[in-house]
Amino acid sequence: MASMDIRVGDTARAVSPAALQRTGSQTILTVLTGLAALASFAIIFLILFFLVAYAYPAIRFNGLGFFTSMIWNIGNQYGSGTISRAGFSAQPGASFGALVFIFGTVVTAALTMVVAVPLSLMVALSLVYTVPRRIRPIANALVELMAGVPSVVYGLWGMVVLVPWIGTKLAPWVTTHFGFIPFLGGSAGSGNGLAASVFILALMVIPIMVATTRDVILAQSNSLFEASMALGSTSWQAMTRAVLPSVRGGVVASVLLAFGRALGETMAVLMVCGAAINSFPQNVFGPVNTIAAVIVSQLESALTDASGMAQRSLAELACSLFLITLIINVVARGIMRGADRREGRAA
Amino acid sequence: MRKTLALAFAALLAAGLLGGGKALAGTSLLETGSTLVYPLMNLWVADYQRAHGDVQITTQGTGSGTGISQAISGVAQIGASDAYMADAQMKNSPMLNIPLAISAQQINYNIPGLNAKHLNLSGPVLAGIYSGAIKFWDDKQIAEMNKGVKLPHNQIVPIHRADGSGDTFIFSQYLSFSTPSWSHGPGYGTTISWPSVSTAVGATGNPGMVQTCQNTPNSIAYIGVSFLDETNKAHLGYAALKNRSGRFVLPTASTIHAAASSLTSKTPSDERISLIFAPGAESYPIINYEYAIVNPQQGDAAKGAELKKFLTWALASNGGQQAKFLNAVHFLPLPEKIVKLSKAQIAKIK
Repeated sequence: MASMDIRVGDTARAVSPAALQRTGSQTILTVLTGLAALASFAIIFLILFFLVAYAYPAIRFNGLGFFTSMIWNIGNQYGSGTISRAGFSAQPGASFGALVFIFGTVVTAALTMVVAVPLSLMVALSLVYTVPRRIRPIANALVELMAGVPSVVYGLWGMVVLVPWIGTKLAPWVTTHFGFIPFLGGSAGSGNGLAASVFILALMVIPIMVATTRDVILAQSNSLFEASMALGSTSWQAMTRAVLPSVRGGVVASVLLAFGRALGETMAVLMVCGAAINSFPQNVFGPVNTIAAVIVSQLESALTDASGMAQRSLAELACSLFLITLIINVVARGIMRGADRREGRAA
Repeated sequence: MRKTLALAFAALLAAGLLGGGKALAGTSLLETGSTLVYPLMNLWVADYQRAHGDVQITTQGTGSGTGISQAISGVAQIGASDAYMADAQMKNSPMLNIPLAISAQQINYNIPGLNAKHLNLSGPVLAGIYSGAIKFWDDKQIAEMNKGVKLPHNQIVPIHRADGSGDTFIFSQYLSFSTPSWSHGPGYGTTISWPSVSTAVGATGNPGMVQTCQNTPNSIAYIGVSFLDETNKAHLGYAALKNRSGRFVLPTASTIHAAASSLTSKTPSDERISLIFAPGAESYPIINYEYAIVNPQQGDAAKGAELKKFLTWALASNGGQQAKFLNAVHFLPLPEKIVKLSKAQIAKIK
């Protein structure tokens, strides 16, 4: 979401309103675009407002334990009576700790980026500079096709093909031969888990990152690459030292877009993550769970909670996901600004 | 706010349904909920509508929780559920819980070389497996009840439902009723807080359970009897379970029937009762009523009348209870006395 803002902002900066002639149609356009820009803020604000308002009883009931406890228990729906804290009640035995899900969300998304960013940059650069011209349209079409495949299709493939392969081939092989490395040893598990989630997520975000970075590189004039080559650098040096730094803003925007996708992906992850509850993975093959996956898988039961606290706590989970996305965007922009300042560019 | 939202949503949906329904028929009914009941509903509705062209019935497999909440909000006229409503929910919104048929659940496993055999398992052993106390297939407690079977020293992978499910409800009830430590610990519900077991895996829906169990050697799973054809196709083994009398019984028509009849006389007039761990030497321990959750105050007289007609047909021995419908999903018909109780409940619909 915020990565979209960066792109909108860039365009706005490029075309200064003062430079435009003020004609009648121009005024109408200015008002309309202004309203549209305002609407994007208003919509985000309204979503956040209603989410927080709906989650408020859960925020009070759960307190800080929400972020520190790893026990998620909607309580006994068939029990008698209710328990209450801070003036709000829940089913007996209820305890809403999101630590397992927050951990799963951040770790799967972060590991996905570790795998996907270098690969995507290399694919994007090669699509622009090294892939033969004749094959390029086919390769580009394939990338766009991959970006357009619905996530549930990736999930199904993951469940039917990838997970059994990890469970019966990859995981036993890795744990036997590389078990001495931390987080690679121990039980091989069933194949459902962190590794499968990261694999599927990487498959989903790589095409998005390739398509966006490729377009940013293409938008940059070819002169940088050519000048760098003329000065005697190898094509690798020209790409990594001249081209990439010049399109850094666009690359960061595309990374943020992909990160957002990885954080929020629901169905495909739910189908391969092993839906861990109350436990952390013992190694990279262990089951995990993400906020998005747990919201969709627990909603059904939450609906039968007469006290309503299970639904409110799911809304609090949604707020946390919102917050995580926001923090990551702010941090990424901060890093960008810092880098720009160091190099004496205008932020 | 929840009520207003639900009302607004209901109004929107009703407007859509009426708009669409007008072209087709006079009255429209919506059934939504349990995915175990969904295939049966489709068979029922297809047959019923051939004779009753004036009513349009739409079916949806959305899950029991959704079925209950949409029956309460008025979006749906029939909410199908594997579980009866809890007291706390009934207090907020009194609904009729009308049994439609009897279902059961099998305990499936995938142990290379042993799937053709029926292992003997008990509630406490299953509780041990799902709480991580029993880690290997050749554990002393499993070996004790399976003399002569060569059990492998492989780590057990317990698979549970990740989504809310009536299957989790009846499975965890079996563990709760047979094992005090489970009843004081995780307890039972459509979603429970599963004990932390490092090999445990969550799967979504019964198809996901079948798939994961089939793909994972040494796994164990609980799967609704409607999926018997699928589990057979996947060559999964299924267990004989220890019942209240201490006997190990397989899920067959006669053991499911035995369990149902042993609790027929105990079924109260509101029919909210668990059939789990029923008494009787021949009783299979994990069976349940499949319910239609219905609001007794329908508001719309025409809808109420059509709803009563359809539910009455569903309970008739020459209607919905015929073997040609129930056998397709391996459900059993309701005992005569339960049909009577259900009819008395249907009469309350206005």
